[in-house]
Amino acid sequence: MDKEIVLQVKNLKTHFTTSKGTAKAVDGVDFTLHKGETLGIVGESGCGKSITSLSLLRLIPTPPGKIVAGEILLNNKDIVKMKEEELRKVRGNQLSMIFQEPMTSLNPIIPVGEQIAETIRLHQRLPRKQAWQKAVDLLEMVGLPSPEKRAKQEPFQLSGGMRQRVMIAMALACTPEVLIADEPTTALDVTIQAQILELMKDLQKQIGMSIIFITHDLGVVSEVCDQVAVMYAGQVVEHRNAKDLFKTPLHPYTQGLLASLPNIHENQQELQTIEGSVPSPYDYPIGCRFADRCPHARDICRAEAPDLIETGNSDTKVRCFMHTEKWETSVKEEELVCP
Amino acid sequence: MSVTTKLPILEVNNLKQYFSLKKETLLSPKQTVKAVDDISFKLFPGETLSIVGESGCGKSTTGRSILRLDEPTEGEVLFNGVNMTSLNKKELRNMRGDIQVIFQDPYASLNPRQTIRKMLQEAMTIQKVMPKEQMEARLLELMSLVGLRPEYLERYPHEFSGGQRQRIGIARALCVNPKVIICDEAVSALDVSIQAQIINLLKGMQRDLDLTFLFISHDLSVVRHISDRVIVMYLGTIVEIADKDSLFDSPSHPYTKALLSAIPSIDEQHKKDRIILKGDVPSPIDPPTGCRFHTRCPFATDHCKKEVPALRSLSETHQVACHYAESLLNGQVV
Repeated sequence: MDKEIVLQVKNLKTHFTTSKGTAKAVDGVDFTLHKGETLGIVGESGCGKSITSLSLLRLIPTPPGKIVAGEILLNNKDIVKMKEEELRKVRGNQLSMIFQEPMTSLNPIIPVGEQIAETIRLHQRLPRKQAWQKAVDLLEMVGLPSPEKRAKQEPFQLSGGMRQRVMIAMALACTPEVLIADEPTTALDVTIQAQILELMKDLQKQIGMSIIFITHDLGVVSEVCDQVAVMYAGQVVEHRNAKDLFKTPLHPYTQGLLASLPNIHENQQELQTIEGSVPSPYDYPIGCRFADRCPHARDICRAEAPDLIETGNSDTKVRCFMHTEKWETSVKEEELVCP
Repeated sequence: MSVTTKLPILEVNNLKQYFSLKKETLLSPKQTVKAVDDISFKLFPGETLSIVGESGCGKSTTGRSILRLDEPTEGEVLFNGVNMTSLNKKELRNMRGDIQVIFQDPYASLNPRQTIRKMLQEAMTIQKVMPKEQMEARLLELMSLVGLRPEYLERYPHEFSGGQRQRIGIARALCVNPKVIICDEAVSALDVSIQAQIINLLKGMQRDLDLTFLFISHDLSVVRHISDRVIVMYLGTIVEIADKDSLFDSPSHPYTKALLSAIPSIDEQHKKDRIILKGDVPSPIDPPTGCRFHTRCPFATDHCKKEVPALRSLSETHQVACHYAESLLNGQVV
């Protein structure tokens, strides 16, 4: 069952040049997004997930940042190579984005309905009145109570949940093929988060768009995502079907991440932790970037960098020597000295 | 071990914390935010009592009022029987050695221009914990206790990662030998793998140093992991207090039920039965009459709109403020 591929990212590298050197924030990211599916990109602070999402829309401030390598294929057209004019057509129409804090992405002194209508006028060249009506319809679609009245209000008059609904309405104004949602519910309370997640799932069914859902919250991922890409130190370390990933994580980092989550359904004595800390993006080790924190690391892990390769079926990719033939022949390291 | 047989170390009685927004004028009435509105609870020595709730429910304000970082409007806070709300400044300063606090953002709560050594020394000197000569040994002991290298004493807060800063925040709270520590969203800003380290550290310290925690958090999974008892707050009032197991296994207030069901879970078995609440939390300026949850409650009746439900006992360890708690527990629809 081969589904249609909407977006494919190959070996994407976004680096930042600063006075301290080159920070390899995104350093070889690969993933595939199918039509109508939701792909979760998860990882901890600094793993490069937000920079990846900004790179997709070419929103990286240049300088200091720059996409130095890789391809972003949207329906087989490479976004990396597009001219500014082409890009403007893609943004909003085919690819659109919602951010974590709606207050900073909305204009504070313009009524929200007007802001949505402006987007519609720019992209679809509708007359003012029709654009306004469409904005109100959109607000109704995202479940804002009394949309006629709310459309005339400024962002500060709305609650956090309502503002995020407005952002979603704006992002959906031109029925994009791909919606990139960067931590869209992180700033919201759980009961409001549940409302917004439900809304996004419903809208996806209605419109048939694909979603890239960027979050640090594994619980949210398992609620909404079909596929998951786990990122660590600027790379994807595991790219799989969400159900399988949560059932049998393959990469030691994913395993550690899942084990360190407190479980709400049972009592535990001690939480498992991942010892050590993430390597600096200015100076990654030659070998596997997780080797220093990995309980299974062997000599080969420090000498060579593993590739993201398929194991089993084409849906499962993991970046770890444990799942290659090399593992059997590699020498086991002496018991690691605890830091 | 039953904690209820002991005397409480901290007792909060009818605590109210109002904030005035505007002075009354001819045209506009006086506006008051009722951040905490008449809450009472007891904290027993050696236990971890958590306060959970969503933004604006008053959980952090409760912590601040207990410490008198904000002067409470009404009510009393008894620490070992002494009423903290009637202490003068000097007495209060002495008392603060016994009750310490750890905040969510350690970067905002550490002085950026002081080295860690200076920060800890200052706190110990003010609280007169020990003579100067013994401090050095204590500093090293504290650093090893929270899992930091001794040479870090000479560094400034900006040189540390988030998890390390939180360890410093913990060391700073511990350095004056407190009996109670109020943790206000102490692990909320951390990544899960770091969060797990800090939670383990807190639990270990509690065991070794016989500490009592008031743990304020919005994250119910963390709360389940760390607490003995849990308070659920909604819009400035307590809706449910129970020991951990009975709260998570048989939540009795409709709000607690919705809150628990809203948590995204990675566990396949627990994904059904989501209760999605309608609307937002009402404003604490003009809270709803009667039960404050009635505007979002799926079971609300006219009675709920009129009468404020009192916090009453369902069992020895379980209190709830809902008119229909029993029938809801039995699965009956009101």
